[in-house]
Amino acid sequence: MNLWLIAPLSLLLIGILLALAAARRKIAAVRLAWMLAVWPAAAFACLAWLTAANANNSPLTLSYAWLPSLNLSFSLYLDGLSALFALLITGIGSLVTIYSGYYFEKDDSSWRFQSYLLTFMAAMLGLVLAGDVITLFIFWEGTSLTSFLLIAYKTSDEEARRGAFKALFITGGGGIAMLAGLLFIGITVGDMGYASILSGGDVLRNHPFYPAMLGLIAFGAFTKSAQAPAHIWLPQAMTAPTPASAFLHSATMVKAGVYLLARLNPALGFTDLWFWLLSLFGLATMITGAYLGFKQNDLKALLAYSTISQLGALVALIGQDTEIAFKALVISILAHALYKSALFLTAGIVDHETGSRDLRRLGGLARAMPFTATAATISGLSMSGLPPLFGFLAKETQLATSVHPGLPPILNVLFPLVVVAAGALLLGQGGLFVYDVFFKRPADPKHPVRGHEPRWGMWLAPMIPAIISLAVGVLPEPEFLASFLAHSAAASYGSKVKVSLALWSGVNIPLFLSAIAVSTGSLLFIQRKRIRPVLQAFLPQFSFNHLYDATLRGGDALARQFTRLQNGHLRFYLSIMLVALGIILWLFQAIPFDFLTMQPASSLLSVDGLALLRVFTLSMAGLSAFTTIFLRRDLFAILALSVSGLAVAVWIALEPAPDVALVQIVVDLLATVILVLSLTRLPRLQREKAREFTYRQSRPGLLRDGLIALGSGLLVALLVYISLQTRPHESLLAPYFAQNAKPLAGAKDIVGAILVDFRGFDTFFEIVVFASAGLGIHMLLHYAARKAGDHEDPEPTPGPLKQHPVTGVAGLPTSPLLHLLAYALLPLAFLLAVVQLMYGHDQPGDGFTAGVFISLAIGSWYVIFGYQATKQRLPWLRSGYLIAYGLLLALINGLLGAWFGSGFMAPLNYGQMLNLPLPQGFYLSNAFIFEVAICLAVLGGATYILDNLGRPRELNLESDALLQAIQEEPTTQMESETT
Amino acid sequence: MSIHWLVILPILLPLSGAVFGLLLRKFARLQFSLSLAAMLVALASSVGLLIYTFNESPVVVQIGRWPAPAGITLVGDLLSAFMVVMSQTVLTTGLLYAVACRDKCVHYPAFYPLFLILATGLTGSFLTGDLFNLFVFAELMVISGSLLTASADDRYGVEAAYKYFYISLLASVFLLLACGALYASYGTLNIADLARRIQTSPNLPLTQISMVLLLAFFMVKSAVVPFHFWQPDFHAASPTAVSAMLSSVIVKLGIYGFLRMTSLLFLEQAGLIRAALIVLGCVGVLLGGFSAIGANHLKRMLAYSTIGQIGFILVGIGWGTPLSLTAALVFAFNHSLIKSAMLMLAGAMASRAAVKSAAFNILEGIGKASPLAGGLFLIGGIALAGIPPTNGFISKLVLFKSGLEVQAFAALALIGAASALSLVYVLRAFMQIWWKMPTSGVKTKPDGDRLIAPALLLGGCVALGLWSEPLIGLSMQIVNWMAEPGRYIQAVFGG
Repeated sequence: MNLWLIAPLSLLLIGILLALAAARRKIAAVRLAWMLAVWPAAAFACLAWLTAANANNSPLTLSYAWLPSLNLSFSLYLDGLSALFALLITGIGSLVTIYSGYYFEKDDSSWRFQSYLLTFMAAMLGLVLAGDVITLFIFWEGTSLTSFLLIAYKTSDEEARRGAFKALFITGGGGIAMLAGLLFIGITVGDMGYASILSGGDVLRNHPFYPAMLGLIAFGAFTKSAQAPAHIWLPQAMTAPTPASAFLHSATMVKAGVYLLARLNPALGFTDLWFWLLSLFGLATMITGAYLGFKQNDLKALLAYSTISQLGALVALIGQDTEIAFKALVISILAHALYKSALFLTAGIVDHETGSRDLRRLGGLARAMPFTATAATISGLSMSGLPPLFGFLAKETQLATSVHPGLPPILNVLFPLVVVAAGALLLGQGGLFVYDVFFKRPADPKHPVRGHEPRWGMWLAPMIPAIISLAVGVLPEPEFLASFLAHSAAASYGSKVKVSLALWSGVNIPLFLSAIAVSTGSLLFIQRKRIRPVLQAFLPQFSFNHLYDATLRGGDALARQFTRLQNGHLRFYLSIMLVALGIILWLFQAIPFDFLTMQPASSLLSVDGLALLRVFTLSMAGLSAFTTIFLRRDLFAILALSVSGLAVAVWIALEPAPDVALVQIVVDLLATVILVLSLTRLPRLQREKAREFTYRQSRPGLLRDGLIALGSGLLVALLVYISLQTRPHESLLAPYFAQNAKPLAGAKDIVGAILVDFRGFDTFFEIVVFASAGLGIHMLLHYAARKAGDHEDPEPTPGPLKQHPVTGVAGLPTSPLLHLLAYALLPLAFLLAVVQLMYGHDQPGDGFTAGVFISLAIGSWYVIFGYQATKQRLPWLRSGYLIAYGLLLALINGLLGAWFGSGFMAPLNYGQMLNLPLPQGFYLSNAFIFEVAICLAVLGGATYILDNLGRPRELNLESDALLQAIQEEPTTQMESETT
Repeated sequence: MSIHWLVILPILLPLSGAVFGLLLRKFARLQFSLSLAAMLVALASSVGLLIYTFNESPVVVQIGRWPAPAGITLVGDLLSAFMVVMSQTVLTTGLLYAVACRDKCVHYPAFYPLFLILATGLTGSFLTGDLFNLFVFAELMVISGSLLTASADDRYGVEAAYKYFYISLLASVFLLLACGALYASYGTLNIADLARRIQTSPNLPLTQISMVLLLAFFMVKSAVVPFHFWQPDFHAASPTAVSAMLSSVIVKLGIYGFLRMTSLLFLEQAGLIRAALIVLGCVGVLLGGFSAIGANHLKRMLAYSTIGQIGFILVGIGWGTPLSLTAALVFAFNHSLIKSAMLMLAGAMASRAAVKSAAFNILEGIGKASPLAGGLFLIGGIALAGIPPTNGFISKLVLFKSGLEVQAFAALALIGAASALSLVYVLRAFMQIWWKMPTSGVKTKPDGDRLIAPALLLGGCVALGLWSEPLIGLSMQIVNWMAEPGRYIQAVFGG
C-alpha cells in the first residue's frame, strides 16, 4: 500500500474543480491556463518522484475495497509501464493545457475546454495507474466519453457531431466486448487485480475459452487504438480542437489499447494466436495508415493517418514477444508521443495563425514563424526516422525486431517489407509537413497565406518535446532514461529487457533496411507532385466508412421495421397478446387434454326441480351476449348486454347465492345507466363513425378475430369445467368461515362476513377503486375534456332551457306523475339502504348495494327533473366530499380496530362494549361502520359519474374558473423573470 | 407501537394523503404539501420496514387478526420491502416533478389524490401476501393510471389511456382466471399457503394453466414482449409525472412477480419459467433496442428503451444463479432511478418547446439554451447505456459477471450487442436536442424548477455508480432470503 499513489489523481481533480469554478468568472484564458497547468505539472513531479524513489522497482500499489460483496476493489498500480504512460500523460498534458490557453485566447468559455481536457487527463491517468481490470475499464470509458465531448466541441458543426458519435460508437462498442473479456479473465483467475492476472498466465492460456477472452479484449483494444478496420473514427475525430487532437488522438488516448495489450502480455501473450492476431492487425494498420496518410491534403488528417500507422507498429511489436520487440515498443511509444504531439501543436499554430491547414495553400511560413518552424522541423524529421533524432532510434529498433530470426515464413518477408514501406511513406509525410508548409514557396504567390509567430507560450509547448527528441539523440546516452525504459519494457515483457539509447549500433541489416526506407522515402517526397495525384485517384471511394455507414443504415432500416409493429391498433395488440398466451400455453403443455376422457363429476349432472329455469337463464345470458355482436345500434347492444347480466344474476340466485345475485343486479343496472348516459355525450357523427369502423372488417380479419374470440372463450370454459371437476370436495376455508362468522364476526350471513370481515381489506380497496373511477371520470370530463375544446353540445337541445323550470333529460318536459314517482323513489331508496346497512350482516345486502340504490334513485331524478333542478333540490349531494368522507370513515374505522381491538380492521362490537340498547339483529359493530363508509364512497363515486355524464354543457363554472387560472399561470413571476 | 405498522403504514399513508387531499381540493398548495408529506412519511416507514426486515425478521400482518389462510395477510419480507422503498423513492420525486412541471393536468383537484392512489396500489401489490388482494391493488393502479393519463394535456391522452386500460383489463382477466383456477385446485389464495400446497402436489390439472396465466399477467405489467404494446403508445401521451412512474417502478411489479413465481410459488416449474424469461428477455432486448433507434419521439424512445432494459432484467432472473438474481435486483433498482429521471427530462424539454411535444423534430436544438438539462440527460443517457461512473454500469457489470459465470455466451453476446444499441439511441437523442442548431428560431420557455426532481434522481444514479456496495449487499441478502422459500411460509404461518 502506498497512499501517495492517489496524489496525482487528486491533483488533477483539483485542476478540474478550478476549471469549473472559473465558469462564471471572467478570467483571461491564458491566465487560467497557467493556473490550471500547475496541477498536471505537479502530478508529473509527484509521479517522477514516486518512480525515482522506488529503488527496487517493485510495483507500488494501493487498494481500497470498493464493492466487497463482488470482491471488487478500486486499486492503483505503478510500475515501469504505467510510469512511462503516466509521465507522458501528465507531462504532455501540462504543455497542452498551457497551449490551449493561447489557442482559446479570445474565447470566453475556455474553462469548458479546459475542464473537459483535465477530466480526460484524469481519466487517462487513472486508466494507466489502475491496479485491476475493472478500475481500468471505468477510466477507459471515461476517456471515451470525454473524447466524445471534445471531438464535438464545436457542437453546431454537423461533421463534428458525426465524428464524435462515430468515435464513441466504435470505442464504446469495443468497450462492451472488452468489459466481458476483462471480467472473463478476472473470473478465471479468481481476482480482478493485476497481481493475480499477471501471475495467472498459464491458467488463462490453457483455458478452453482463451480465444474468446483474447478476442474480446483485443476487440476493445483495437477499436480504441484505431487498428484497421476500426481506424475510421480517428481521422474524423480531427474535428476536435487541435490541442485536444494533439493530446488525445496522438499522444495518449489512442495508446490506451496499446497499453492494455502491453499490460496483459504476460498473462495472455506468448501464444500463436496472440502472435498472429496482433501481428496481422498491426501490420495491416501500419501500412494502411502510412499509405492513406500520404494522400491527405489536410495537415491534421495527415498526422492522424501517420498516428494510425504507428499504432499499428506498436501493436505488431507487442505481438512478437521477443526482448528486442519490447525495447522497440517503449522507445517507439516515447518517440512517437514526443514528435507527434509537437507536430499536432505546430499544426494547430499554423491553423490558428493563418486560418488554413491545407497543404495546397500553405507555404513559406518559416520566415514568419521561425520558432514554430524549428519545432516542426525537428519533430518532422524525427517522424521521418532520420538521425540524429529520437525517431531514428525508434525506426531502427522496429526494423531490428522485424528481421529477428524467430519469425515464421511469409512473415519474415512481410514484416520487414511493411516496416520499410511504412517508414518510407512516413518520411514522405514528414517531408510534406515540414517542407511544404514552412519552406516551399506558396502555391499561389499572389495571395500567400500570411501568418506570424504566436505568443511565446504557444510555440513553447511544441518546442519542449521537439528539443527532447533532439536531445535524446544528440546528447551522450542518458543513463536514467535508458534504465527507466528498460523497466517499462520489462514490466510488459515479463522478464528483463536491455535498453540502450545509442543511435549507432554498427553496420547491420536494420541499417541497410533503414537506408532503403530513407532512399525510397526521399524519392516519394521528391516525386510527390506526381505520385500523390495518382494515389488520390486510386480507389478514392474505397473506405471502411462505407461499411460503417451501411451498418448504421441497416440498423435504421431494421429499426423502422420494428417500430412498424407498433401500429397503434388496439385490436391488433389484444390479438397478439391472446395468441401469445395461446402459444405459451401450448409450449408449456399447460392444457390438460385428458379432461376429454374425464368422467363428468356427479355435481355437474345433478338434475333438480330448477333445472329448466337454469337452462332458460343460461340460454338467455348466452344468447343476449351473442346478440350484442350483431346489434349495430349501440343502444340496443347495451340493452342486450344488460339483459345478459341480469340473466346471470338470476342464475346466481338459483345457485342459491342471493347476496351475490343482488350485487350483480345493481351493478348491471348501474352499468347500463352509465353506458346509456355516456351515449348522450357522444356526438351522433362520432357514433356513426365508430359503428362504421367496428363493422368494417375484411373477411380474413373477421375470421381471425372470430377464431381468437372462440379460442379465448374455449379456454375460459375449459378452466371452469376442470375447476368444477377437480375442486376439493371440501373447501379448506368454508368450514372456517362457517364456524367463525357468527361467533367472531357477529354475522349470520357468511358472504357478508367475508366481505366486511374476513376479507374486508379487499373490500376496502375495491371501494377505493370505485371511488377512483368516479374521481377520474370527473377529472376527465369536467376539466380535461373541456380544456381540449370539447365544448359543443352533441345534439342541439330543442328550444331554450329556461321555458320550463323543471325539464327532464335533454330538455323534454316531464309529467307531474313522474315527479311524484321520483319524490317517492328517493326516500324509499334511503329506507332500503338503511335497512341493508343495519341488517346486511345477517341478511342479504350490504353497503355497496345500499350506495347503488341511492345512486340509482338520484339518477332517476336527473332524468325526471333535469340537471339544474336536481342540483337545487339535493344541495347535500357533493360527490367529491362523499367519497372523501366515506374513505376517511373506513380508514378511521380500521384504525379504531387497532386502537380498541387487536389490530387494523379487527372486529369490534361497540354496542356490546357500551351496553347500548339496540334493536334485535342490529349490531353497532365496526363492520356496520365499515358498511356505512362503503355506502358513502360508492354513493359518491356513482353520483360523480352520473353527475358528469348528465350535466348540460353550459354549466361548468368551476372548471371554467380553474382552466382560466391555469391558462394565466405561465406568466407568473418566475417565467417572466427568466424570459 | 406495534411493529406491524411498518407494513400497514406504507399502504395506508398514501391513501390517507389521497383522502385528505380530496377534502382539501379547494386549496391547491395545501393539497400538494399534504400529499408530499404523506409520501415522505410513507417512504420513511417503508425504509423502516426494510431496515427491520434486514436486521430482524420479516413482518407479517394478518389483517383483522384473522388467521392466515382465512383472512388477508400482508407480508413485508426483504424482497417486498426493497421493492417498496424503490417505488416510493421514485414516486416521491414524481410528486416533486408534478408540482414543478406546470402541466395543466396537475392543477385538476383530483390529480394528486389519484397519484397517491396509484402509489397505494403499487405499494399494496408488493406487500400483499394474498393473490386476490394483489388483483385488487393491481386494479387500483390500472384505474388511477389510466384516468390520470386520460386527463393529460396531450390530445392523444384519452387514446393512450384507452389502450392502456383495455390491455391492463385483459391482464386483470388473466390474473382473475389464475386466481379462480388456483382456488379451485388448492382451495386457498394465500400466497404462502399456495406455495406450500403447490409444493406438495405440483401437477394438478390446472396448475400449469394458472401458472401461465399468472405469468402473462406479470408480463403485461412489465411490458415483456409480446405483451409490451401498451408501453410506447402510452408514454407518448401520458402526463410526464405519471409516465415516469409507469415506465420506471410500475413495470417492476412484473419483475417482482417473476421472482416470487420462480422462488416461491412454482418451484417445480421454475426452470421452465426461467427458460421462457431468457428467451423473451433476449427478444425484448433486441426489439426494444432497435425500436428505440427507430422512434421519432423522445418519450416513445424511452418507452422502447424500457422494453429493452426489462429484457436485461429478465435474462438475469432467467439465469437463476444467486449472482444473476442479484444483478436483476440491482438492475431493476437502478433502472427505476434512471428511467424516471430520463422521462422527467424529456417532459421538461417538451415543455420548453413552442408546441408542447417530445417529437424529435420539435425538440431539435431546443436544448441549446439549457445546458444543465443537457448535462443531466447525458448522465442519464450513459447510465442507460451502462457506462461508468453511473449506476447503469454497476447493473451491467454484475449482470455480465453473472452471465460469464454460468457461461451463457449466446445471451451475453446478444445483450452486449444490445447495450451498443442503447448507446446509439441515447447519443442520437442527445445530439439532436442539445447540439443541433434550433430550427427557425423557436422561442423556448425556461426550465423553471422542472429539473429538481431529475437532478435528485440522477444524483442518486451517480452516487450509486461511485459506491453501490449497500445496494449490492442488500440485493445479495434478498437473494439469500429468496433461496429458502420455507422461511417465507414459516413466517406467514408461524411455528
